[in-house]
Amino acid sequence: MELLEFKDWKSVPDIVHCYKSQLSISETPIIIDNGSYQARVGWAISDAPLLSFRNLVAKLRRERSKKDGSQESIVPQLQVANDISNIEAVRFQLKTQFDRNVVTHFEAQELLLDYSFFHLGINTDGNVAHPVIMTEAFLNPNSSRQIMTELLFECYGVPGIMYGVDSLFSFFHLNTRPTNHGLIVGLGYHTVHVIPVVNGKTIFENVRRINIGGSHIISFLHRILQLKYPAHNNAITLSRAEELLHSLCLVALDYKEELKKWSDNEYYKKNIKRIQLPFSSSISSGLTEQQKERKRELARRLAEINARKREERLAEDEEKLQQLLFIQQMIKANKDSSEIEMSMLEYGIKNLDDLHKNIVTLNSRIEKAKEKIFAVNTSDDVLEEPPLKQPKFHKMSFENETAKLLFVQKIKKTKQEILNKKSARKQRRQDMAKRRTAAGQERMRIISQLARKEKGNDDFGYRDEDWDIYKAISREGGDSDSDAENEKLMELDEILREYQPTDVDQGIPGESYQLHVGIERYRAPELLFKPYMIGSSEAGLSEVIAYVLSLFDNETQSLLAENVVLVGSLANLPGLMERIKIDLISVRPFKSNLQVHCIGNPDVASWLAMKNFVQQTEYKDFLTTREEYEEYGSEFFKTHAASNFYIPTPKSQVVEIIDS
Amino acid sequence: MNIAEEAKGETKHVFKRCTFQQLIAKQPNKKRAWKSLKQIISAERSLPWPEDYVHYSSINAPPSFRPPEKFSDLSGLPAPYTDPQTRLRFANKDEYAMIIGLPMDITAGYLALRGATSLVG
Repeated sequence: MELLEFKDWKSVPDIVHCYKSQLSISETPIIIDNGSYQARVGWAISDAPLLSFRNLVAKLRRERSKKDGSQESIVPQLQVANDISNIEAVRFQLKTQFDRNVVTHFEAQELLLDYSFFHLGINTDGNVAHPVIMTEAFLNPNSSRQIMTELLFECYGVPGIMYGVDSLFSFFHLNTRPTNHGLIVGLGYHTVHVIPVVNGKTIFENVRRINIGGSHIISFLHRILQLKYPAHNNAITLSRAEELLHSLCLVALDYKEELKKWSDNEYYKKNIKRIQLPFSSSISSGLTEQQKERKRELARRLAEINARKREERLAEDEEKLQQLLFIQQMIKANKDSSEIEMSMLEYGIKNLDDLHKNIVTLNSRIEKAKEKIFAVNTSDDVLEEPPLKQPKFHKMSFENETAKLLFVQKIKKTKQEILNKKSARKQRRQDMAKRRTAAGQERMRIISQLARKEKGNDDFGYRDEDWDIYKAISREGGDSDSDAENEKLMELDEILREYQPTDVDQGIPGESYQLHVGIERYRAPELLFKPYMIGSSEAGLSEVIAYVLSLFDNETQSLLAENVVLVGSLANLPGLMERIKIDLISVRPFKSNLQVHCIGNPDVASWLAMKNFVQQTEYKDFLTTREEYEEYGSEFFKTHAASNFYIPTPKSQVVEIIDS
Repeated sequence: MNIAEEAKGETKHVFKRCTFQQLIAKQPNKKRAWKSLKQIISAERSLPWPEDYVHYSSINAPPSFRPPEKFSDLSGLPAPYTDPQTRLRFANKDEYAMIIGLPMDITAGYLALRGATSLVG
């Protein structure tokens, strides 16, 4: 069986591109496809975008770098776009300028524009002398566009700006079959748009947006895998879920049919994908080397302290012995009795016998201490490891294999009995808790019978067995899982492991570190068609397409259905185009003409379309220049076929006070 | 503040006239709070737009008119049954046996994923 592995792509930091002089002389426009997933930036004369990065900024906390001040310079506090080498490490510090598909957080946008212009190599002083062609969200709110314009004109000093919608650019300027009618399905990271175009004009009021996109599919896949494998909660990351979406996921042509296939066990076994998570095969034996070393160090220090104390005590004893010996000598020499008595009092000695006794004990103590010190010094470094834990039972020897087998079987049987008892008890507890089960009803019957008061003939309690009824109605059912039982179970397991090691833990190392991905491959992308799978009340993609078509008259409907165009990276999903086609056929009249296709390479289509636009048309007519910005205000922008419309924001109702 | 200034000094780009912060900040130390999309939309809606104006919020997809199908929370297979205790959906008895043994956080996670955390419905 083939085993897949995660590749865990790391982003490669971008180089700073060379800023050629001809670029600055000719005022070559900079094209920015500012998507909520990725941004693609490049010159209008290059074949492909020079930069392509996730629109993300990681702001690391300052506290961490403060703590170890020396490392402050090593870890930059701010990581932008492709500088983020390991996205999972900074997952919680990630920021994007997007809220859904609209730019709202312009501090992050500023950082990312810095990043783009810097890596394009721009080094002119005080301005970026190139017009900027940029994508924005469909029906981007005026206020969002306004701040973007201010940012570009004021901070970067660009000579002109043009805005457009990415999917409209693709439709109008990359289409190999130029038509005036079409239904664009823009599959984005946060949203999906269904945009009808009639006579070369976007019909804004009939556009519909589903607020589900690639990010929802990824987080859905992430979560179902996490819930399926709670043990690998941390190993299943969002980036890995994203990788799965790119590498394994596909769209089912008929979801129900697909599910039916998967419910068959044989099919499941044949088509399941196994993915190996990284794991370490070494089984740690309790203590690591470091811990052992630390323990040894501690023991050595304790021994040193003990030795020092012993030596101090020895010195003390020796001193006292000297004194006592001196007194003894004084007595022998018949010195002044009062002096002797004084010194004897000092040591708390009453008479001669006491003195002798003291001297003898001190002598023996010194002798012992010396012996001990000698013993410790000779066996200095030999610190014994504590003896290994003795197993509770001793290994038995069997006459032959059959005897061993019988023994093992007996143990197994005992184990099974305990397990059975446990499960029966669990079942009983559950039954008791519910009212509708037979056990629960029987219990209620007994309780009500006991509670009934009958005068006269109440002989309850005359016999000892009467009291057993309380055992029967207690929720525990008379006996509960005891610790003794659990202990016994563990002991049996241990015995089994001893005699039949293969029986308890079996298998290839790392098998428990495998993810089995089956239906999930279809289930996650199906979210586009069934938003209710994550509790959204919105209609699915096929339903919305049908709905948008229904807003037109029959003739226009067939014009639109003849040219359904998919744009956006999600269009790469295998089967998506066919699925949309199948779903469309089911809502279109019988045998009507129908075309679904994809424009170019969905990943870079809109960037290339913008480039075509700049190269082919008089793009300068559509640039909002600096003069116009200053004249008409920051909200103003020039519209074209692939842009949003412009209606200035009405003044909020200001109550005018007229002086009369 | 000093550290922030130093950090900004490092990343200062030659092509920039000023930072956005300098441009918009009335009080230099105060950070601007950015409106979320929700706030922007509701602010936009409250203005007196012309009759036929199309808002960002007016192109939301319609609610689904088809009854949602029921799929097993565990496997994704069509699920004819619902466990009354955990309220998880399941496809067969093997899955039910699994549901019985699932800890609370997992069952809650499945429900949250399906958006079925509200007590009613």
